[in-house]
Amino acid sequence: MEKVIEAKSISKSFSGVKVIQDLSFFIRSGEIVGLLGPNGSGKTTTVRLLNGVITADAGHIRVVGLNPFTEGDTLRRRCGVLTESAGLYRELSGEENLLFFAQLYGIKNAVRRVKELLSDFQLTEHKDKKVSIYSTGMLKRLGIARALLHKPQILYLDEPTTGLDPEGARDLLEYIKNLNQKYNVTILLCTHLLKQVQTLCHRFIFIHKGQLLEEGTLQELEDKYLRELSLKVETDLSFHGQSFESYPILKKEPGAVVFRVQNKEAIPLLLRKILKKGPLYSAEICGRDLETLYFKVREAHKHE
Amino acid sequence: MNRDAIQAVALKDMQSISSNIQIWLPLIIVPLIFSIVLPGGLILGLRFWNLDSFGNMGVIVDLLEKLPPGGLRDSILQWDLFEKQVVYFMVNYLFAPLFIIIPLMISSIIAANSFVGEKERRTLESLLFAPVDIKSLFMGKVISAFVPAMVVTFFCALLYGLVVNSTAYPLFKTIIFPRLNWIVMIVWVIPASSLFAIFLNVVISAKVKGFQEAYQLGAMIVLPVLALFFSQLTGVLFLETSLLLWIGAAFFLIDYFMLKVISRAFDRNKLFESQVK
Repeated sequence: MEKVIEAKSISKSFSGVKVIQDLSFFIRSGEIVGLLGPNGSGKTTTVRLLNGVITADAGHIRVVGLNPFTEGDTLRRRCGVLTESAGLYRELSGEENLLFFAQLYGIKNAVRRVKELLSDFQLTEHKDKKVSIYSTGMLKRLGIARALLHKPQILYLDEPTTGLDPEGARDLLEYIKNLNQKYNVTILLCTHLLKQVQTLCHRFIFIHKGQLLEEGTLQELEDKYLRELSLKVETDLSFHGQSFESYPILKKEPGAVVFRVQNKEAIPLLLRKILKKGPLYSAEICGRDLETLYFKVREAHKHE
Repeated sequence: MNRDAIQAVALKDMQSISSNIQIWLPLIIVPLIFSIVLPGGLILGLRFWNLDSFGNMGVIVDLLEKLPPGGLRDSILQWDLFEKQVVYFMVNYLFAPLFIIIPLMISSIIAANSFVGEKERRTLESLLFAPVDIKSLFMGKVISAFVPAMVVTFFCALLYGLVVNSTAYPLFKTIIFPRLNWIVMIVWVIPASSLFAIFLNVVISAKVKGFQEAYQLGAMIVLPVLALFFSQLTGVLFLETSLLLWIGAAFFLIDYFMLKVISRAFDRNKLFESQVK
């Protein structure tokens, strides 16, 4: 697939402090990519650089084939950004906010588009309320609606779920997924809430102190960083000693036991051996969630 | 320039002002005092009480006696009664600088608010992420300060004319306002000086950290106007038509150069880096 975002060796400093250092990555058309890193790792700065609102000190950026610094307005017409603060006018109503940005973006049939988005984000009944009394969830939804007004090809979401309750976060992520599938919108999602985006993103880019730590799909990261697996088996059997049939036991819990296995291929054999001895209710590979991988990646690059 | 964007920004800002009573009420009260309470009170006072009972009238009495020969002196001394001379002088000259203060105050407050306001509400980021050139955003901001300033000033000048003529009519039996100098002031000096105030405040507000700072720096613009007020009281210079034509021209010239400087200095990246956290 075609690369819609390509950054090569970009660097950026603010008053002498290096925020982005020699960062290179790419994003393909139609992907949902998670840009992950702790607070202050340079996620927001990266989004700003990609939109040409700040200039890079060094390096080369192309977004949909355009240079963000020299062709910024043309590029920004094709990109939507949800900033962390949502960037809405609190003294105006939800509808007024959208109508203002629609006019700013020069959108034809603005009234219809605004109505459509208000309904998509379940904001129709709140459209006349001032944004100052909106809940965080409503604010984020309105912020995304704003970012989508001009039907962008690329959507940048900076911490979209921060401050949302689990239900609100789930709905929002569902909408993002839908947007990607239905309209093939390429999405770059910045977050530090790893659990929420694990199943949403096709690929992940880990950054730390403005540097690329690692990138890849969950599978690729797993293959690279999980040297061994933990397998939690639910069973009535009781195990004695530190191992079972040469499989080391990591932990014993009431009704369950956690084994260490070298790789996935070793799992069926272990399960067959347990089944020969007694009942087995479930088996689950633990510690291969995004969060665990993230810490493994961090650990591996600790000394760089 | 992007007309849609200019219009969007200007209308949005004016809507924000009109929807916030804490902002527009003070912007209306002071002009109403200048255009109704002050002239009406003084004229009625002079009509119904003895001139001597006004403590500070001595200054004006002295001033009128020492007027240099010329059109101004003739126009004032055409009136037989001293009360009439004083009223005529106040109405047509002394109060004029107060009317320059009205648009300066309104446009300064709105303009000072412009970029700092966007920054404090964290909306500047959204504006800068939009596919709109900075000049259009700037233009929208300028219009949003200029239009209310002009509307309020014209409206107040109209009120002032009504109040002055209706309260002074029993004394003069004729209409004494406006003279040509006021018309020049309203249509020539006030737009020019308001634009100056706006440009200055937009520049200040794009550089400073918060409202307070923007207001304090912006408020200094009132100082030269106060100087005009006192220069008339002391007889140093009078706001006659020719002087007003020069003042307006000077402001327009300064406006032109400020605009050149601003369009060179205003840059999306600089604005973003200095103002967005």
